[in-house]
Amino acid sequence: MTTPVAGGLAQELAATVDELRRMTVQVRTGGAASGAGVLWSAGGSENGGLIITNAHVVRGNQATIELSDGTAVRARVVAHDRKRDLAALDFEPYRAMVAAVVRGSPRLRVGELVIAIGHPGGLVGAATLGIIHAVESEGEGRTPRWIRADMRLAPGFSGGPLADTTGRLVGVNTMMQGGLALAVPAAAVEAWVRRAHALAAP
Amino acid sequence: MSTVLQSLSAELADAVQSAGRAVVAIHARRRIPATGVHWRPGAVVATNHTISRDENITVTLSDGITVPASLAGRDPSTDLAVLKLAGQSLPTASLRADTPPRVGELVIALGRPGPSVTASWGVMSRVDGPWRTWQGAEIDSLLRLDLAIYDGFSGGPLIDGGGRVLGINTSALARGVPVTIPVATVERVVTELLERGTIRRAYLGIGTQPVRVPKSLARKLELTLDTALLIVSVEPGGPADRDGLLLGDVLLELDGAAVSDSADVLAKLGGDRVGRPLTARVIRGGQVKTLQVTPGERPQSQAA
Repeated sequence: MTTPVAGGLAQELAATVDELRRMTVQVRTGGAASGAGVLWSAGGSENGGLIITNAHVVRGNQATIELSDGTAVRARVVAHDRKRDLAALDFEPYRAMVAAVVRGSPRLRVGELVIAIGHPGGLVGAATLGIIHAVESEGEGRTPRWIRADMRLAPGFSGGPLADTTGRLVGVNTMMQGGLALAVPAAAVEAWVRRAHALAAP
Repeated sequence: MSTVLQSLSAELADAVQSAGRAVVAIHARRRIPATGVHWRPGAVVATNHTISRDENITVTLSDGITVPASLAGRDPSTDLAVLKLAGQSLPTASLRADTPPRVGELVIALGRPGPSVTASWGVMSRVDGPWRTWQGAEIDSLLRLDLAIYDGFSGGPLIDGGGRVLGINTSALARGVPVTIPVATVERVVTELLERGTIRRAYLGIGTQPVRVPKSLARKLELTLDTALLIVSVEPGGPADRDGLLLGDVLLELDGAAVSDSADVLAKLGGDRVGRPLTARVIRGGQVKTLQVTPGERPQSQAA
């Protein structure tokens, strides 16, 4: 005999998805919804909040961000990297918010469950579940270029979070390739944000 | 505190990790490598269609070391091949032979199309009885999967949530649809390929086509069946030709069993029938005639 777990599993999954939805935003440029974004930093007394998304999601240097509670705010593109397909936008936080928590360790394992949140076809806050398909062998101190997940993502997932079962961010969903979902690893996003900030500083 | 969701995630990753140790990359074709499973000590199972050469085959083990391998034998009819490795201490796969998979069971397909292991997950979508491949081999059970397949998937294991192997995956037996060759079939083929280097199959050297037996003829000859097999080709000098089967004979029974399609004939032609006479009942010239035919050993290139 085994203990039934499916009910508990469903509840826990729903709770994790709810948590992830709160740090997922919609990114609109030119009126139309173009993708998802991750609330990277909620901002503080001196700094604005920061949203990370894909470079291919934002056109121009302004965007409207729709937060999970439906509030729309104006955001300014502060960094845009076509090659890495990342963009950073800052905005004035109007209330306290909870930003994404990056998973630093342990290392991702092949077969581990991951959850993606996005807005496919205008369906806001949709979730999908998959597993890590491959983990690139890590060179000394080098972060792998992509996380490959066995899950099918529609275009509206671009720029949104890929998270583990504890709700920690492991990557930013970017594209489908050969049937696999590719995400920029969270560690690579962190390094990119640091570099972009250093460049932007006077 | 660990939730059910987190435990499931960790168990899936554990299953991949433990089963992955017996999963190897096989370099025996151009472009990307294929996958194989270290099935018994020194013997690696792979799919026949991903091994395009007989020599200069190398295998990359789970610890990243690449070693030479020799081809012990191949069986195109089950799409399996066996490679031999010398002096390896690599762990062998843990097989689940006792309990068959169930429809809806969570399963993982592993591959190693390069240095690292890859995984995709899904469920068993169909579990059925024995079936025959288009080349006539009997597969112990039909295992169909609801999961995505990627490059290098063929030759990899299908594993359960505990990391135990349920069979070998291939996309070459059912028009690109992924199927799993169950453990029992793989075991049988591995044993025979290691012993003989080839799978012995009996053959008659005939081509057949199902035909309806006219009611009047059936009544006259006191037959109970209404479908039989018209012999539409006879291989010159083949076993059937030698034993007097003729083009135009209508085959009713073989070895006491009614035949109404070519699978019924193949069912009577296992490797153990080579050289052992079978009784054939045919309609010839409006009369039922009984003949003895002795199957020969099917040449390797021959399909039926």
